[in-house]
Amino acid sequence: MFKNILTRSRQLINPVARNLSLTTKQSNVAAESEAASTAPAPLAAPLILVQNYTEYPPVNRNANRQAWIENTDTVAERKVGLIELHPDVFAAQPRVDIIQENVEWQRKYRYVSMAHAKTRAEVRGGGRKPWPQKGQGRARHGSIRSPLFKGGGVIHGPRSPTTHFYMLPFYKRVLGLTSTLSVKLAQDDLHIIESTDIPTTEPQFIKDLIDERQWGPSVLIVDKADIFPENICYATDELGFVNLMPTFGLNVYSMLKHDTLVLTVDAVKHLEQRLLYQLHRNDAISKGDKFKLDQV
Amino acid sequence: MSATTILRHSRGLCQFAKLAQATPSVRSFHGQPALWSSFRSSQPVQPIEQYPEIEVVQNPPEWKYVERLLPPKTVPKPLAKNEYPSGWQPQKADGTELGYFVARTKNHMVPVYLNTTFRGQRRLTVVRRIQGDIWALERDLRSVVEQARNGKLCATRVNELSGQIYIHGDYVDVLREHLKAKGF
Repeated sequence: MFKNILTRSRQLINPVARNLSLTTKQSNVAAESEAASTAPAPLAAPLILVQNYTEYPPVNRNANRQAWIENTDTVAERKVGLIELHPDVFAAQPRVDIIQENVEWQRKYRYVSMAHAKTRAEVRGGGRKPWPQKGQGRARHGSIRSPLFKGGGVIHGPRSPTTHFYMLPFYKRVLGLTSTLSVKLAQDDLHIIESTDIPTTEPQFIKDLIDERQWGPSVLIVDKADIFPENICYATDELGFVNLMPTFGLNVYSMLKHDTLVLTVDAVKHLEQRLLYQLHRNDAISKGDKFKLDQV
Repeated sequence: MSATTILRHSRGLCQFAKLAQATPSVRSFHGQPALWSSFRSSQPVQPIEQYPEIEVVQNPPEWKYVERLLPPKTVPKPLAKNEYPSGWQPQKADGTELGYFVARTKNHMVPVYLNTTFRGQRRLTVVRRIQGDIWALERDLRSVVEQARNGKLCATRVNELSGQIYIHGDYVDVLREHLKAKGF
């Protein structure tokens, strides 16, 4: 509670500090991409993040996508800026076949079947010959646990534990991510926020924010850093339908499981940089090798 | 003449013997094989005195020669030339006037491939990375292939979702040259 008041008062006293640092950082990014912005932008200036196509020119003929950057410091929505998204990552061909393969792989590689049936050797008893071989007029049998008998062993039954582990080819995993990100953006289920800083630790703030902005019932919030700010951690801890995830954990299954995907600007930049590198890397052939469990 | 003298007279073998003396053991990067490796299978860290003296240098001037040898991280852009001896040419068309577009691969090649199945009995030519009006491109490619077959019909299959066209038979060179002529 005390901490709450402290953070609030700090924001009241110095609301521009965060913006200032953000705008300077932003101007660095812009200066890297294009030498357009020279002086640090004024405080109220919107974040206009222009995509840099010099390193990875777009293969995709789709027009590049633009998305609003939203605020998180109030419940009410305010457009903080605009970001240009790389078409190879956010406007890729929606390969639903590859998305399905990714989902199936993510379900299967962690699944261990515990179904188990006993063979004739494992069923209790059955060591004695039930009746003599000849002279009874009955069929010859050697054991009452033979698979022909009721209560006997099972032939080719399920044996536990059976793993269903396999690895999807590397570039199917990469295309799964680009396809799902593109699908999420095209379906208006992808939102970009300035940062994960929120003013309170109250879960009601997050609930109100989600209601106000009509984000889906379940929300996945992704940031580049794997340590989230304290406020959002407390606010979302009790909410089962709001989850936090670092970018290195982003996966197709989680993106589809949650209705809305919320990325921070840092996360977008990081994802674009990593995925475009994988799509253009020189030693891609090394990723086509057989998956080894013991690779060091 | 004994066996040792024969050995001594053979020059090549003498050199080999010298080499073997100079390198007493086979050098390898890994002391232990990586198979079934765990943290226990690595050699533990020795006291610092056991290791040779080194000097840490920040940004030495020679490093640029090392960098020259390192492979680039991503596929480099081709140098702009008027003509390339291999027959390769950069992509010129962007598909605005034709309505369709065939993207180059990351290695700047035309994505036309040959799939052989049934022990080489069935050959399929695959054109990948198609964007835009795939059906117009299919009509276009089919007419080219039928011309190459002296007017005989040609079977094709279009996968619009994944942007691929399958053409029965081996027409890789024909189609690649055709696409290059179109500027793709």
